[in-house]
This record gives sequence, C-alpha cells and structure tokens, in this order.
Amino acid sequence: MPDPRANDAPALAPRPPGDWHLPAPYDWRAALAVLLIGLALIWSAQRVEVDRMLRLTGEAALAQVGLQEESQVGRGLGRMFGALFPFVIEDRQEVARLPNLDRDALPRFTRIETIETTRYVMNSETLQAEPVVESKEYLVHPFGYLLKVADKMVETFEIAVWATIIAVLLSIPLAILGARNYTPHPVLYTMSRSLVSFLRSMPELIIAMFLVLGYGFGSIAGYLALGLHGAGFLGKFYAEDIEAADRKPQEALTALGAGKLRVLRAAVLPQVAPAYVAYTLYILDRNVRMAAVIGLVGAGGIGQELKGRYDLFEYGHVGTILLAIFLTVFALDQVSARLRARLIG
Amino acid sequence: MARAALAQDGGGVQPHLSFAHLVRRFPDGVRALDDVSFTVPKGQFCVVLGRSGSGKTTLLRSVNGLTELDGGTIRMGDMDMSDATLRAIRRKVAMVHQSFNLVERASVAANVLSGAVAEAPSWRVHLGWYPARLRARACAVLHRVGLDEIHLPRRAAALSGGQQQRVGIARALLLDPEVILADEPVASLDPAISREILALLRDVARERGATVLCSLHQTDLAREFGDRIVGMRQGRVVFDGPPARFDAAAEAALYGAAEMPMRPAPHLIEEPVYA
Repeated sequence: MPDPRANDAPALAPRPPGDWHLPAPYDWRAALAVLLIGLALIWSAQRVEVDRMLRLTGEAALAQVGLQEESQVGRGLGRMFGALFPFVIEDRQEVARLPNLDRDALPRFTRIETIETTRYVMNSETLQAEPVVESKEYLVHPFGYLLKVADKMVETFEIAVWATIIAVLLSIPLAILGARNYTPHPVLYTMSRSLVSFLRSMPELIIAMFLVLGYGFGSIAGYLALGLHGAGFLGKFYAEDIEAADRKPQEALTALGAGKLRVLRAAVLPQVAPAYVAYTLYILDRNVRMAAVIGLVGAGGIGQELKGRYDLFEYGHVGTILLAIFLTVFALDQVSARLRARLIG
Repeated sequence: MARAALAQDGGGVQPHLSFAHLVRRFPDGVRALDDVSFTVPKGQFCVVLGRSGSGKTTLLRSVNGLTELDGGTIRMGDMDMSDATLRAIRRKVAMVHQSFNLVERASVAANVLSGAVAEAPSWRVHLGWYPARLRARACAVLHRVGLDEIHLPRRAAALSGGQQQRVGIARALLLDPEVILADEPVASLDPAISREILALLRDVARERGATVLCSLHQTDLAREFGDRIVGMRQGRVVFDGPPARFDAAAEAALYGAAEMPMRPAPHLIEEPVYA
C-alpha cells in the first residue's frame, strides 16, 4: 500500500511544528521481534541445557575456592590439564631400532641414555619372583620434538598461505560477477552469489574429508579445502565492498569514457583496498587456525601430528603442539595488526 | 575583447554544441528539460544559470550521456550524440564536478592520471603505470592549476576544497578536451575561492580554445565570468544573452516568486533510510 504522504507532500499546506510527525527510532514491530527472539532463546536454553551448564560451572568454581568437596567438571578437566604438563620437547628413539647408528659419531646434540627397568620374573626352580634388571638404550635429542613441531607448524603456515592465495584468486572474479553494479549479466550475478554462498556453507572439515579421498593424505587436500571455503567469505565481502564504494569517482571516470574494468581499477580499487587487506589478513589468520584443525582428517600440517599423539594418549606432546599453535596465532596477530595499521592508516 | 565577439548566440561562428528540443521527464511527469534548444559556439564560456531543480545539471549530464534524454538531439561538432558515438564523445568531453568526485584515498597524481583512464593501454591502467608522456602531462597540468610537486603523493582527501577542485580541473584537462562541462564547480567552496577557481577554469579553457558549459546558481559569478548566460527555470530556457543584458528584470524572471515544489533530481535521490 503506497504511503499517501509520500506522493502528496508538496501539495499539503505546511503544518505547524506542533503537529509534525517525528519518526520514532523503533516501532512496535521491532519490539515484537525482540520479544519473540527472547522467547525463542528461553525455549532453546532448556534444549541445550544452559541451566546444567551454569550449575556445573558454579560447582567447579566453588570447588576451586574450597567451598565444595569436588566437582565433575573440575575432575575431568583437571586430569586432562595435568596430563598436558610437562610439555614434551625431547625426542627419544630406542637404539635397538636404529641399526645404522654409529656410536662414535652421534648426530649433533644427541646423546645416548640408558634406562634400567626392573622386572620380576618367576624363577621356575625356586618358584619365586626374582627381580631382573633390563636396560634399554635410547638415542635422545634434547629438543628434537620441538624441532619436529616447528617443522609441522611451518607446513601448517604454508598450507594457510596457499589457501589464502587460492581464496583471493577465486574470489576476485566471483566478486566482480557478484557485484550488482558491475556484473555483466544478472544471471552471472545470481550464479556467482549462489556459488559463494555454497562455498561458505560447506564446513572446511567436510570439504577436506572429501578432498582427502581424492588427493590422498597431505597438504593438497588441506589448502584446497581452506581455499575453497575462504573464497566463500572473500567473494561475499569483496563484492559487497564494490557495491558500497562511493559512486562519485566512478561516475567521473565513466563520464571520461572508461569501461567497467578500468573504472573498477582506477576508482573502486583504491577505495576498497584497505578493507580488502583487512579481510584477507583475517582469512589468513583463520586459515592458520583451521589448518591446525583440518589435519585431524589427514589433510596435512600440525593437526595430523596432533591427532596421532592424542590417539596414543601422549598428552605431553599434545601440550607442546597446542602451545605451538597458540604462539603462532599470537605472533601472526601481532604482525597482521601492524601490517593493517600501516596499510590502512 | 574575445568575449564581445563570442558573446552573441552563434554570431557567425561554427556552433560547437547544439541542443535541439531536449526533453527529459522524471518518472512523476515533471519535466527536468522542457524543449531546450540553443547552440554554443566554439571557445565560448557559457554559463547555465538557475536555481536548484531548474534542469541545468540534467542538461550538462545529458551532454556526456550520464543522463538519458526522452527526446531531442545533441550535436557536438559534426557528431550526433547516440549510443554509437557516446564513447567517442565522452573522450572529447571532460567534466568538473560539484563535489569534485575524486578518489579520496588515492594520491593527487593518481587522480590526475585517472583522467587518461579511457585512453591509456589497458595493462598500464591495471598496473597503475601510465606512460611517461602522460605522467609529464599530469605534472604540467597540475602546475598550471596552481599545485606543486609536494602535492603529488598526497591523498586527495588531505587537500582543501579549493585544492581538490584544482585537482578535478587538472584531471579534466589531462587529455585536452574540446568541451568542459562544469557542474556547479564552486557550489561547495567559499566566495573568494570560488572566484579563483572560476577564473582558473575560464583561463585554462581559453588557452586551449575549449568550449565551457558551466552551471551556476550565483548571479554575480555568472555575470563576472560568463561570455554568455543561459537562464533556466523549470526546465525551460527563460533568458539567453550576454551578461550585460542580464538585468534586474531578467534576474526576477529567473528567480522571482511562483514557488515551485522542490524536487531532487533523480540521480541525487539516495536510497531511503529506515530508522
């Protein structure tokens, strides 16, 4: 229904300011929406057991300060955290399994440790358990595992970088086709937007699982999965920024006879560049974190190592890996914050 | 003086721009251009004068096809304006905009060079690496409009309004246009700066023999800088003559009573804001 005021406004006699209609900041529809959302959340809260979550958390907090004997959450998490420490940084291999080891020329930094274990063996003559001392030799590299984790972390970072490159290369054409004011044809617009939504809606873990079937275990499945998923984000954000860019300089260059691609390059790109840098750095940051996760399904990187150690109950190793991931993400955050400030400022 | 010779409509000089029966209707039926016909000889500084909503911006924008016409023909030199000739016409027609329309985040140098964006080879545009000839020209026109080497790397947004419009003029001059359309070039500048900018525009156009179609709403500036004044009201030409003939009666006819409902031109209507 058309609003009669919109069409007849100039014809109406001016009204005194006391009668003016000042639009309200929100109307009953907004209030109703807030109410409905609130009710939906209350309904959902009991489905996902928010009350139990609060009770258990409260118990854990009370147990911490000594007001309660013990709590289920505290016990479970405490056992896990206890097992993560101390972090394992050395690498130890049984010498018996290294047939080519030259004892006179050990690899650098390594040493051989002998560990004696006592076993009780039943003596068949005396029928008594007698202690037998067995000694095993280990080749110990004091920070060998740290080096291995670092190597895996570098691989993870490489996966993240290549995933970001693939995401950017895919999303630039998708963004141009998917920007309402630059798409060559509405059909291409719809196709591009649908593809971008599809890529975004597929979890990278699932994409990686499928790609592992095709490309085998390793990095290829990892960076392809992350790159495709990242293109789903960047394609959307890039396109929306093109649509929202200031039209005036674009019109100025159109008036000079420039075609769409040239206007994009000369009038739109300078405007959207800072935001594009920010989005791309975010995707890189996200890819580093996700590269650690998709390794769980065998798509290379540190996740694969993490999964292996976790399955072997080697929580000390898991602790080292988690610390390495945290430090990498933290360092990347610092670098990208600085980069962003320099490019956007 | 050159002005006297050019002042008369046509005056035996070959018309450079001719408008015949231009009509432009808004969707609600109001006519932004209502049977506008006149010709502009080569090299003339023709001021289109009128209040907001009189159709002067629509007229200017129809010359380079930013606004489509519902009727009438525009002729530039020996070219009739049509879809086929639009590109060719746009390359000979430069525009100076009311709000400068610079890429604010880009440098002054990049903004001036973008004046050649339709001419330079595609790969050079995309790399942002314009040929030496154009770069030299960019420096020359920037110097001509009164800017200096120190301004080259600055962001356009960092300049004052007057300086930004100088950059806008430099961009327009980069390819030596035959026609300069100046759409309220000083509407967002203060009076002293406005005079400087209009004097600059008039001088650089004269040096190059370019024809200027300049819309203004200030009568004093129109009298001072125009070779000729075309007065528009409600989409019609209501005055056409040299500034000397633009007297109080003409001014009253242009701006006088008869309140007309104000309507923004369609290209200025922003998307509605929902609170």
